[in-house]
Amino acid sequence: MKIKISIAVLFLFCSCKNQDKQAEGLFSPAEKEVEQISSSPENFSPGKKVYTNFCVQCHLPNGEGIPNIYPPLANSDWLTEKRKESIHAVKYGLRGEIQVNGKTYNNIMLPLGLSDQEIADVMNYVMNSWGNTQQKPVTVEEVSAIDE
Amino acid sequence: MEEMGSYTYELVVPDIEVPWGMAFLPDGSLLITERVGKLIHFRQGKKTEIKNLPEIYVRGQGGLLDIQLHPNYPENPWIYLSYASSEGEGKGGHTAIMRAQLDGDHLVQKEVLYKATPNTTAGQHFGSRIVFDEEGYLYFTIGERGEREVNPQNLARDGGKTYRLTADGNIPKDNPFLQGENALKAIYAYGQRNQQGMAVHPETGKIWIHEHGPMGGDEINILQKGGNYGWPLVTKGQNYNGTQIDYPGATPEMISAIHYWTPSIAPSGMVFVTSAKYPHLKGNLLVGSLKFQYLEHDVLEGEKVIKREKLLEGIGRVRSVVQGPDGFIYVGVEGLGIVKLIPQQ
Repeated sequence: MKIKISIAVLFLFCSCKNQDKQAEGLFSPAEKEVEQISSSPENFSPGKKVYTNFCVQCHLPNGEGIPNIYPPLANSDWLTEKRKESIHAVKYGLRGEIQVNGKTYNNIMLPLGLSDQEIADVMNYVMNSWGNTQQKPVTVEEVSAIDE
Repeated sequence: MEEMGSYTYELVVPDIEVPWGMAFLPDGSLLITERVGKLIHFRQGKKTEIKNLPEIYVRGQGGLLDIQLHPNYPENPWIYLSYASSEGEGKGGHTAIMRAQLDGDHLVQKEVLYKATPNTTAGQHFGSRIVFDEEGYLYFTIGERGEREVNPQNLARDGGKTYRLTADGNIPKDNPFLQGENALKAIYAYGQRNQQGMAVHPETGKIWIHEHGPMGGDEINILQKGGNYGWPLVTKGQNYNGTQIDYPGATPEMISAIHYWTPSIAPSGMVFVTSAKYPHLKGNLLVGSLKFQYLEHDVLEGEKVIKREKLLEGIGRVRSVVQGPDGFIYVGVEGLGIVKLIPQQ
């Protein structure tokens, strides 16, 4: 009986280890990389993490957008000249026709379910990337104060 | 009525922001999911919000997603929903499948049939289409939640897969991975990315699925039991930054798509047209394009797409498309609502 229990425990232990091995996936370092994203400031600021998860599919990695479909964020006059509207767009969505750098866009961006902190982070990332320069950082208070 | 291209449309349900899925009840009224977490019952021109929904995790592409009725509704009174859910351990959420019944204006007898794990705060790739095949099995898709290197090729993990259960949520006796070590028993096929379209071929009974590729490489596939559809090892798409997607380990058994879209059209919603009201569309596929804001007509010859046409160009992001019991095609358009496709004269 004792031996059988020990063997059973051994099997349990082995299968748990196998589960861990399976959960590591094909490329073990990658999973850990994803979890550590926010703690590597030179690679992934919190704002860049939000951008990569929620924005890149449409606005693309260098903020270039897609002509006639998704407006650019890099050197965007809409972003530069309409600070409140830009934050409002990320917070509540944006619908209808807008002009960006002389081109018309007529599309819909839905609210992304971001926290006020995430919105501030991603605004600061975008406003400091790809040639964009920011005069004044966006704060969580500023985001919270913007009503629908 | 508005005119776009050679098809016109009529707006039948206005003011729905993201009509992700819809299902017709026997009385001809319509249940529509609003992604932000509302189930809308549209009946005789009026909208009612159905109460007592499960708690919905609204995050990025996630929220209240698809809806299907049991094939023998209303004799079998179950309604099936897919949604992003925070249930269980850990911050964030993942795709859940629930069945429930409709009692007047609220849901009753709610049962979670499946909840993918682990929860994550990622906003992408929930998949979430639901269909029943001709034998009454329940299929649903769950996307890889942005974890391409960890989920889709690993049978011990949720995500990047198509699942099959019985209609009451049990594991079918002949599911393909029952013997596999640590494999999740509900899995039917794997190696997928973000599948937002699924439809049963009216003649062959096979299940067709489409999925979003990364940048380019959207696909249509035909579901095979135990099939590996290759993501991320086999893809015709690139990373968003233009670099190649290059992982070792592709094998010949990985199933190639029957159709690729490059550039991506960002497909959502899928239906085979069987209605005689649309002779030009009958026997073919309709697929919504989110990115290019039109309804795509894919002319089929067997299992090949031989021609593509754009319908309702510029209407808006097309999210869902169904054929109603009245034989008309209904299209869910983001920022607009549900439109009825008016047949050509």
